[in-house]
Amino acid sequence: MTTFRRILRRKSALLSLIFITIITTAAIIAPLISPFSPNEQFKDGLSLQGAPIAPGGNYLFGTDLLGRDLLSRLIYGARTSLTVGIIANGVAVIVGTTVGIIAGYSKGRVGALMMRFTDLMMAFPALLLAITLAAIFSPSLLIVALVIAMVNWVQIARVVYSQAVSISEREFVTATRGLGATNSRVLTRHILPHLLPTVLVYATLGIATTVLLEATLSFLGIGVRPPTPSWGNIIFENQTYFITAPWLVFIPGTLIILLALSFNLLGDALRDELDPTQRGLS
Amino acid sequence: MLESDVNILEIKNLRKEFGSRKPIVAVDDITLSLERGKTVGIVGESGSGKSTLGRAMLRLIEPTSGQITFNNHDLLAVKPKELRQLRSKMQMIFQDPMASLDPRMSVRELIREPLDIHNLGRREERNAAVEAIIDKVGIAQSALEKFPHEFSGGQRQRISIARAVINVPELIVADEPVSALDVSIQAQILNLLKELRKEMKLSFIFISHDLSVVKYFCDDVAVMYLGNIVEYAPTETIFKSPQHPYTQALISAIPEIDKSTRKSRIILSGDVPNPAEAPSGCHFHPRCPIAVSSCAIDTPTLKRSAPNHLVSCNLVDPRS
Amino acid sequence: MIGYLSRRIAQSLLILLGVSFITFLLLYILPADPAVQIAGRSATPETVANIRSQLGLDQPLFIQYFHYMTNLLQGDLGRSYLQKSEVSSLILSRLGPTLTLMLTAIAIELLIGLTLGILAAMNRGKVVDKVLMVLSFISVSAPQFIASILILYIFAVKLGWFPIGGYGTPAHLVLPALTLGLLGSGWYSRVMRSSMLDVLRQDYIRTARAKGAPMLRIIRVHAFKNAIIPIIAMIGLDIGIFMSGIVVVESVFGWPGIGQLAWQAIQRVDIPIIMGVTLVSAIAIVLGNLIADLIAPFVDPRIRVN
Repeated sequence: MTTFRRILRRKSALLSLIFITIITTAAIIAPLISPFSPNEQFKDGLSLQGAPIAPGGNYLFGTDLLGRDLLSRLIYGARTSLTVGIIANGVAVIVGTTVGIIAGYSKGRVGALMMRFTDLMMAFPALLLAITLAAIFSPSLLIVALVIAMVNWVQIARVVYSQAVSISEREFVTATRGLGATNSRVLTRHILPHLLPTVLVYATLGIATTVLLEATLSFLGIGVRPPTPSWGNIIFENQTYFITAPWLVFIPGTLIILLALSFNLLGDALRDELDPTQRGLS
Repeated sequence: MLESDVNILEIKNLRKEFGSRKPIVAVDDITLSLERGKTVGIVGESGSGKSTLGRAMLRLIEPTSGQITFNNHDLLAVKPKELRQLRSKMQMIFQDPMASLDPRMSVRELIREPLDIHNLGRREERNAAVEAIIDKVGIAQSALEKFPHEFSGGQRQRISIARAVINVPELIVADEPVSALDVSIQAQILNLLKELRKEMKLSFIFISHDLSVVKYFCDDVAVMYLGNIVEYAPTETIFKSPQHPYTQALISAIPEIDKSTRKSRIILSGDVPNPAEAPSGCHFHPRCPIAVSSCAIDTPTLKRSAPNHLVSCNLVDPRS
Repeated sequence: MIGYLSRRIAQSLLILLGVSFITFLLLYILPADPAVQIAGRSATPETVANIRSQLGLDQPLFIQYFHYMTNLLQGDLGRSYLQKSEVSSLILSRLGPTLTLMLTAIAIELLIGLTLGILAAMNRGKVVDKVLMVLSFISVSAPQFIASILILYIFAVKLGWFPIGGYGTPAHLVLPALTLGLLGSGWYSRVMRSSMLDVLRQDYIRTARAKGAPMLRIIRVHAFKNAIIPIIAMIGLDIGIFMSGIVVVESVFGWPGIGQLAWQAIQRVDIPIIMGVTLVSAIAIVLGNLIADLIAPFVDPRIRVN
C-alpha cells in the first residue's frame, strides 16, 4: 500500500482520484442529492417558445429540450455512465485476463493460436464493431455494456499474454510444478498474483475507454436510450439546440472529458509506479 | 505395488532435442541408473547438457525420446495425476534460490506448499511440520513470516532445501546447489545435505561443474561432454585413474596445495563448442590431446574398461 | 527479406479471410430477418419466403458463406435494405472524401504530434513539457463528438471563420481535418517524446554533442530518424482509430464520406451498409498495418538484417 501513498503524492493522480470519488459518490447517492426527478418535465422548464431555459434560478444547470432539469439528469446520468463503464470494463478485464493468462501459460500452439485470434479482433475498428453489434442486438443497458466489453477485452488480453509468457518462464514456476502442483494452482496462486499490478493499471485505463465508448454510442443514438439519462445521450437528444442552448452540450461534455481524463491520469500514475519500463507511453 | 528394485531411478536412451528445423541435441542418448541410497555426481562444463539431463530425468521438461523409470513407475507413461503424486517423492533443488522461490510468498507458505499441494494433514499439522523442518535446516523460527528477498543466498538455499525435503522424498536431483554461493557457505550447505541424506536415506543426483565438490559428496561420478557421458566410475577411481582425456584434463585443473601430488596441468585447446555445431565423430576430438584422424569419423560409445568403470573413447580398449 | 515480406503478406491475407468470416457470421446471426426488412411490413408471407429463397437465406451456413465469399471477391457487398442500391457502389462513391479527410488529418496529427513530442523531449521536466503532456492527455481523453461540436461551435458558428459543415471547398476541409488531427496528435506526441528521450540518452548522441554539434542539427540528422521508428509501426494502428473516428466527425461536419454513410445507416438500422463499412474499414486497417510493416525494414536497418 506504500505504492498507493506514492501515487497520491502526484498532484494529477490526487486530483483525478478526488474527482472520481466525487462523481462516484454522487452517482451512488443520486436520489438523495438530485434536486428533482430526472424524467419529470416541468411546465416552467421551457420558455414560452418551447426552448430550454438557461442555467440559473430554479434549475441550476438549466433545462433540456423537454423541460427536464439538467442537473438531475446529469446526476442520474453519472449513474448510468459509470455503471455501464464499470460493468463493461469488468467483463473485459475478466475475459481478457483469463484468455491472456491461459494463452501465456500454455505456450506453443494453443497460446499462439489465441493470440492470432486477438490479432483478428484488432483488425476491426472498435467503434464500428460496437455499432454493428449494437445494431444487431436490441438495446438495453446490459447489451450496451456487453458490446463495449466485446470490443475492449482484446487489448488487455494481449498485455496479459506477454506478461504471462515471461512469468511462466521463471524458475519458481518450474519449481512449483516440480512439487507436483496442478496447472490451475500454478496459474491462480503463482502467475496471477504477479499479473495483478498490470491488470490493475489496464483496468483503470480501461474505464476511461469504456466511458468514452458508451458516451459515443449514446451520442450516435445506439447506446443507452432515452429517457434513461446518460451523459452521452443527453448530448444526443439536445444536439439540435446546441447553438441556442450550448450548455446542454458543453456541461455534460466537460464532465465526460474530465472523467475520462481522471481515469487516464490515474492509470498512467499507477503504471509509472508499478511498471517503470512502460513510462511515458499511453 | 511391486517390490522396490535395487535401482530407484533408471534412465534408458534418454534424448532431448531443442528446436525443430535443425535440432540442437542437448542430451544425447543417455543411459544411467541410480542405486537406492547412493549419490551419483554429474560433472560437466556449461553446454554439456547436465542441467537439461537433470530436468529431463524428472520430466520437468519433456524428453524427446527414451525411458525413465522411477520406483518402477514409467514416468513417461503415467497419467498426469499420478505423475503429480509421484513428484512428492522426487524433488529438485535449483541453482539460483532467488529465482526458484516465488518472491511474493512468505517462507512459511513456500515451505508448506508441498504439503498444501498434496493435501497432507490439517493446517496446524502442516504448520508444525514447517516449524520442525526449518529447525533442521538451520533457519530461525522468526524467519517464517519473512520473504525470500530478505535473506542471504545461503539462507535462501536452506529454505529451498527445506521445501524439497519436508515431504520426505526418496530422490533428490540437485542442480548446482552450491555454485551460486560463497565458498565458506558452500561447505555449510553441503554438510547440511549430507546430514539430511543420512537421516532420510536419500538417493541423490548431484549436478555440478565443480569437481572438488563432487569428490566431497558423491559415490559415483558421470562426466558429461556435449550431451554424452564420456566416463562413469566410482569417485575414487575417477580421481585416481581417469581414463578419458577430458576427465584427465578436468582433474589436472583442480588446484592442489600439496606439491608432491600436483600433476602437470593438461591444457585443452579451444573452447567448448556450441551444442548447435557439435563436431563429428567423437565430439571431443578437436580439443583432445591424443586424438587421431579416425576420431573425427568414429563415434565412441560407453564401454566397460574395468568392472566398475565405463569410458567412451575410441582409443581406450575395453578391459585394458 | 523476401521471406519476411511474403510471410507478412500471407499473414494479412489470413487475417482478411478471418475478418470476412466474422463479418459474415455477424450477418448470419442477425435476429432481425432481412427478408422481412426488405419486403416491408405489409408483405405477404409468400413474398417474404420468395425473397428469402432469392437471397439464399434458407440454405445451410457453409453454402451461404461460399456465396458470400464469391460475391465479396467480385466486389459485391450486398444491397441496402432501404435504398435498393448496392452497398459497394455507395461506399465507393464516398470513399474519395473519406480518403481526403484521412490523409489530411494524418498529416496534421503527425506534424503537430511529432513537433510537440520533440519539443517536450528537449525541454524535459520544464513547464513546457508539463503543459504539453497535460494537453496530450486531454486529447486522448476527449471523445471525438465533443471535440467536433466544440470546434464547430467556436470556429464556424461563433467566429464564422469557416463554413458550418458541408463539402466542396478547401475551407470545408479545415475544421474536420483539424479536429481529427488535434485529437490524434496527443498519442503521437507522447510516443515521440518517450522515443526521443530514449534516443537522446544513447551514446552516439553524446558523441555528437561532444563534437560540438548544435542540438537542432543533432535532432535533424541523428535523433529524428531513430526516434521515428516506433511511430511507423503505430500508423497502422492509427488507421484503425481513424476508421472509428470518421463516423462521428463526418456526421457532425456533414462530410459525405463513408463515416457519414455509416451514421445514416445506423439511424435506419440498415445492416448491410453498416457491415459493408465495417468490412471496408477492417480491410483498410489490415492494409495499413501491412504497409507499415513493409516500410519498417527500410526505416529500421535492424529489421533488414534479420
